[in-house]
Amino acid sequence: MTTFFLGIGVGLCILVFFVLYRVVFGPGIFNRVAAISAIGTKTLVILLIIGYLYDRIDMFVDISMVYALLNFIGTLAVAKYLEMEGERK
Amino acid sequence: MIHISDDIIIRTLARILVPFIQLYALYVIMHGHYSPGGGFQGGVILGASMVLLLITHGYGETKVRFSERGAVIFSSIGLLIYSGIGTLCLVFFGNFLDYGKLSTLLQVVPAHARSLGILGVELGVGFAVMAVMFSIFFDISTSGELPVDE
Repeated sequence: MTTFFLGIGVGLCILVFFVLYRVVFGPGIFNRVAAISAIGTKTLVILLIIGYLYDRIDMFVDISMVYALLNFIGTLAVAKYLEMEGERK
Repeated sequence: MIHISDDIIIRTLARILVPFIQLYALYVIMHGHYSPGGGFQGGVILGASMVLLLITHGYGETKVRFSERGAVIFSSIGLLIYSGIGTLCLVFFGNFLDYGKLSTLLQVVPAHARSLGILGVELGVGFAVMAVMFSIFFDISTSGELPVDE
């Protein structure tokens, strides 16, 4: 089971780089915002997998909850900013 | 940025979520010496709840609960708690923030005094960080000018 989760974690880490491409080169603001949000969600799952591998899942759940929370607030703040400023290149 | 959101989903979600975020922030502060987190992280979560309230409900509703004036007062109180506990240890012939020396004042064994001292310092750090986070966000989003009341 440990090998399985390790494989899942490494796979997610590689997938983050694909999403990072969208953050850097993605056309427009909205692609970037969605990609940043996706990276946050992937990081959350990676944190939980690390917690399982280290047998300290109770500690890592706390960190991942904070991550989910700040990710949500960050996306909301960017959306509010775009609502006010409009999309600019 | 700090005007009221016209989306009812966002406003309702924020209203439901903010108390739980604050409860969770207090949990992170209180369990700082057993689990990850502590004063700074808990303060950031507490400040994030205030920022969420500010960007969803606008300044008019937020200032009833937490205003710029409150941010100044809270950051000063947090710094006072932190440096006060540190200086209190100096008074009892210890180093700065040497909580073990507080055992004579608190009437407990030194190990327990250390635990209580760390808790007090983390409360102070949490207050200060919350207020400063709120203040930074507020100042950036208004460019320093106080908005007109809505």
